[in-house]
Amino acid sequence: MRNQIYIFGKLIEIVIIFFVILTALFFLFRLSPGDPISKMVDPMLTPEDMRHLIEQLGLDKPVWEQYLIYLKNFITGNFGVSFHYGEPVFNIIKERLGWTILLFTTSTILAALAGVYLGKIAAWNKGSRLDNVMSISALVCYTLFIPWFALLMLWVLGFKMGIFPLGGILTPELWVGNSSLFIRTMDVIHHMILPLMTLFIINLGSYLLLMRSSMLSVLREDYIITARAKGLSEKVIRNKHAAKNAALPVITSVGLSLAFSINGGALTEQIFTWPGIGRELIFAVSNNDYPLAQACFLLIALVVLIANLIVDFLYAYLDPRIRY
Amino acid sequence: MLKNPYIQRFIKGWQIFIQNPLGKTGVIILFVFMAMAIASFFVPLISPMYDPMTGIDPDIKISTGPSLIHWLGTDNVGRDLFAQLLEGAKVAFIVGLSSAFFSIVLGTIIGMISGYSGGIVDTILMRMADIIMVMPSLVILLILSSLFGQFNIWIIVFIIAILRWPAVSRVIRSQTLSLKQRPFIEASRVAGASHLRIIFRHIMPNVLPLAFLYMTFRVTSAILVEAALSFLGFGDPSQVSWGMMLQWVWKSGHMFQAPYWLIPPGISISLITLAFYMLGRAMDEVLDPRLRKEGQS
Repeated sequence: MRNQIYIFGKLIEIVIIFFVILTALFFLFRLSPGDPISKMVDPMLTPEDMRHLIEQLGLDKPVWEQYLIYLKNFITGNFGVSFHYGEPVFNIIKERLGWTILLFTTSTILAALAGVYLGKIAAWNKGSRLDNVMSISALVCYTLFIPWFALLMLWVLGFKMGIFPLGGILTPELWVGNSSLFIRTMDVIHHMILPLMTLFIINLGSYLLLMRSSMLSVLREDYIITARAKGLSEKVIRNKHAAKNAALPVITSVGLSLAFSINGGALTEQIFTWPGIGRELIFAVSNNDYPLAQACFLLIALVVLIANLIVDFLYAYLDPRIRY
Repeated sequence: MLKNPYIQRFIKGWQIFIQNPLGKTGVIILFVFMAMAIASFFVPLISPMYDPMTGIDPDIKISTGPSLIHWLGTDNVGRDLFAQLLEGAKVAFIVGLSSAFFSIVLGTIIGMISGYSGGIVDTILMRMADIIMVMPSLVILLILSSLFGQFNIWIIVFIIAILRWPAVSRVIRSQTLSLKQRPFIEASRVAGASHLRIIFRHIMPNVLPLAFLYMTFRVTSAILVEAALSFLGFGDPSQVSWGMMLQWVWKSGHMFQAPYWLIPPGISISLITLAFYMLGRAMDEVLDPRLRKEGQS
C-alpha cells in the first residue's frame, strides 16, 4: 500500500515538473524576438492553410487563451506542422523515437553491465597494474570529446578499413527487394555497431569508475570482515557480498548521468546520421523549424523524467532495505 | 604574522598535492595549455597571416598539411591551424573558468540559503536543483538557440553556469546544515547578527574551500558543452574555439582527408578536460585525508 502511494506521489511530481517545463517554454517563446506567427506557421503554406493552422494553434487569441490552447494541444499530441517536412510534427517524432530508444537503451545497458563487471575486478585488485590500466583508460574514456571520438571511429573503422557503413540505418538495396527478415535485421545491426560502440565506450568509463569507488567503500564494511571470518571463499565474498551491494549506487547514477549520456547520444546520432530525436532536434534548430524543435525538446525532457522514475523504482526493487 | 598558519597550510597542501601523480600530471598539462593561451596573444603580431580568424596565407587556396611556415597546416581558406589551436586554448580557459566561477557563486549562495533557512524554501530550491540537474544542458542550449538565434560567447557562458549550479549547491547545502549546529553560529545569533550577516560572514568562509574544489569539475563540463555547441554550429561565430575548428573540418568535408586538421583540436579538448578532472581528484585527496590514506596504502 505504501509503495502504491509512493508511486502515485512520484507520478504526480513528474506531471508537475513537466507542467513547469511546458510553461517555461511557452513564456520563453513569447519573450524571444520575432513574431510568434512567423515562428510557428510556415510562410510557404497557402493562405487558407495558414489561417487554418493559426486558428488551430490559437495564435490570433489573447495570450492567456493561447497558453490554454498550447497545453491542450500538447496533451492531444498536436505540435503543429514542421516547416521542412510539411507534415504534422507528431508523425515525425513518433517515427524517430523508436530509433533513439533502440540505440540509447542498448548502449546504456551494455555499458552499465560491463562497467559494473570491470569496476568490480579493478577494485578487487586495487593498486595492481591491472587496476591502474583500467582506471586510467576509464578516465580517458570519460573525458573524451564525444563528437571527435565519433568522427575518429567513423574515419578509422568506416572510411579507412571500410568495415562499417558511414551512416544511416539501412542499405536501401536490401529493403526494396524481397530479402528475408533476418538479412534486414542484420543490416540494421551492421549500421548500429559504430554508434553503439561509440556510446558504449564513452559511458563505460563513468560506470567503471563509479563501480570501482563504490566497491572500495563496500569492501571496508563490517559484513565483509564477517564473511571472511566465516571462512567463505574470496570469490563468494567478491561476487555475492561485495559486488551486489556496490552495484546499487551505480544504478542511481544511471539516472544522474542520463543528462550526460543524452547530450552524447544527440551528438553521436548527428555524426552517424542515425535518425533519432537528438539528430532531429539539431536539424530543426539549424533549419529554423521551431515547431519540430519544440516537440523534440519536450519529448527529450519527458524521456529524462520517465527514465529517472524507472531508475527510482529499480533501485527500490533491488534494495530490500528501501521500502517507501 | 596572522596569515602565517594559512600560508603554511597552503604549502603543506601543495606538497601533498604535487606528490599525487594525478595532480602532478594535471598541473603539467594545464601549464602547457596556459602557455598556448598566452602565446595566442603574440602570434598574430608576427604576421597578420597568423591571425586565427582573418589571417589568410595568400599562397594557399586549399587545405595543406604541416610545413615550416604552418606548423600544423592550414584550413581550406588558408588560415593557420596552429594559430587557431592557440586561440582555442584561450577561449577554452575563458569559457571554462568564467562559467565555472559563475556557477560556483550561484551554487554557493543558493546552497547556503537553502541549508540555512530550511523548511519550505529549502524544499523548493532543492527540488528545483533536482530538476535542473537531470536536464541535458546541450539540449537546453539547442532549444534556446532555436528561440533566440545565435548566442555570443558570454551568454553561452552564463547559460551553462545557470544550468550547472545544482551539483555545487547540494554539497554546500549539506555543509551549511552541519555548520548551522555549531556553537559559533548560535553565539552570533545571540549577539544579534542578522541572517544575512550570519550567512555571508560566518558560513561563507567555511564553505568556500569546498566550493572551489567543485570549481574544477565545473570547468570540465563547461568546456565540453561549449565545444559541443560550437561543433554543432551554434557557437559564437566570432570566436575560434576548438569545437569551432572541428565544426569547420566537418562542414568543409575534410574530416577524412585532413587528419592534421581533425586530430589536434579533439586531443586538446579531451586533454584539457582530463587535466581539470585530475586536478579535481587530486584536490579531493588533499582536502579529504581519508582518501589520501586509501591512495597511499
